[in-house]
Amino acid sequence: MVAPEESMKIIVGGKFKDYPEGLRLSALIRQENVETPEYVTVALNDDFVEAAAFDEIALKEGDSVEFLYFMGGGGE
Amino acid sequence: MEKYENLPAADAALDITDAVCPITFVRAKAALEEMEAGAVLALRMNDGEPVQNVPRSVKEEGHRILKLADNEDGTYTLFVRKVEEA
Amino acid sequence: MSFSNEQLERYSRHIILKEIGIKGQKKLSAASVLIIGAGGLGAPAALYLAAAGVGRIGIADADRVDLSNLQRQIIHGTNDLGKEKAESAAESMRAVNPETRVETHVCFVSAANIGALIAGYDFVLDGTDNFPAKFLINDACVLAKKPFSHAGIIRFRGQLMTYVPGAGPCYRCAFKEPPPPDAVPTCSQAGVVGAMAGVIGSLQAMEAVKYFTGAGELLTGALLTYDALAQEFRKIRLPRREACGVCGSNPTITAPFDYPGAVCEVAP
Repeated sequence: MVAPEESMKIIVGGKFKDYPEGLRLSALIRQENVETPEYVTVALNDDFVEAAAFDEIALKEGDSVEFLYFMGGGGE
Repeated sequence: MEKYENLPAADAALDITDAVCPITFVRAKAALEEMEAGAVLALRMNDGEPVQNVPRSVKEEGHRILKLADNEDGTYTLFVRKVEEA
Repeated sequence: MSFSNEQLERYSRHIILKEIGIKGQKKLSAASVLIIGAGGLGAPAALYLAAAGVGRIGIADADRVDLSNLQRQIIHGTNDLGKEKAESAAESMRAVNPETRVETHVCFVSAANIGALIAGYDFVLDGTDNFPAKFLINDACVLAKKPFSHAGIIRFRGQLMTYVPGAGPCYRCAFKEPPPPDAVPTCSQAGVVGAMAGVIGSLQAMEAVKYFTGAGELLTGALLTYDALAQEFRKIRLPRREACGVCGSNPTITAPFDYPGAVCEVAP
């Protein structure tokens, strides 16, 4: 991997993180080791992002990303 | 007898000398809730912990304390005017 | 109706609170809650809501108490093994507070019965263990304009949100469709700390108490997540999804329906 020319600060799950500028959302999902990534819900700056757009969206300085996970337990 | 003449007229009376904290205040609060705004409750309580806590708690609820009268038998009577939506 | 001295004593710690008081306690007495699932989440929720003096509580579960339940389902005891969960839960609730009317529904919820079940209650608490049931409860409550608390737990994590008609998103806004069976681990496969059920189920009871008394702010438009390993709570803002299948502007779901495999989660 080539060293990034520019890095940006984004907020992932409430925490500031440094990533190369223009990082795609799909790359962030990989780098954050998101569990069962095909079933994660992503909110970018308080709006839901459709899974089809994960590859298209380039993240910008100050963006806030939340991963929402399925949690199915509770009864049984 | 003079001090009795100075007492406010009460619309309702409640004796909480048989209760301890926090039931003293809970019963006072329940009685006040059932009264009309502006009505006066005469609340008889024991000296000591009740007389230290109940007037303060009633006041914190937003009601108006009119008078705390020493009955000189180890009890006090607190006169409270109900304030609506305290 | 005014409270007896015994009731004033039983509920004294609520009545003292400015945010609840006599008025709030009367609202709880007049309230009804349906708890779907007498398991990990339902157990603490049912006990706290019964103790709180909620007037009428329905508890729906078709299962029987199993030894592997007792690590977290604190409403059931070792002596209850083999009993219907709804009945075992009702016994514990009545023992805590005989003033609360407990109604048992020994059934799994399905599209066929959920409408009638929730119609009889003011608030619904989802304590189920599988996604088809969670989506069914969401859809039925949205369609019936019924407020409800959603929650899920797994391993050391839990989350919950509250839906109130006209205020914020529903569960489907955030999660769209259930994942395929076994795509996402469940508690029976992945495990869960017993106290996690206690934390999240108690938070669901808290939401119900706040809904009825009007105290504070509900988890509408927010998902509260709890990570026990990091010992961290986070409140994540949840937007509405305009294209949501059930609460969006052009809903495609107009009646509750069953996803296949709704009862496949029962451990062998």
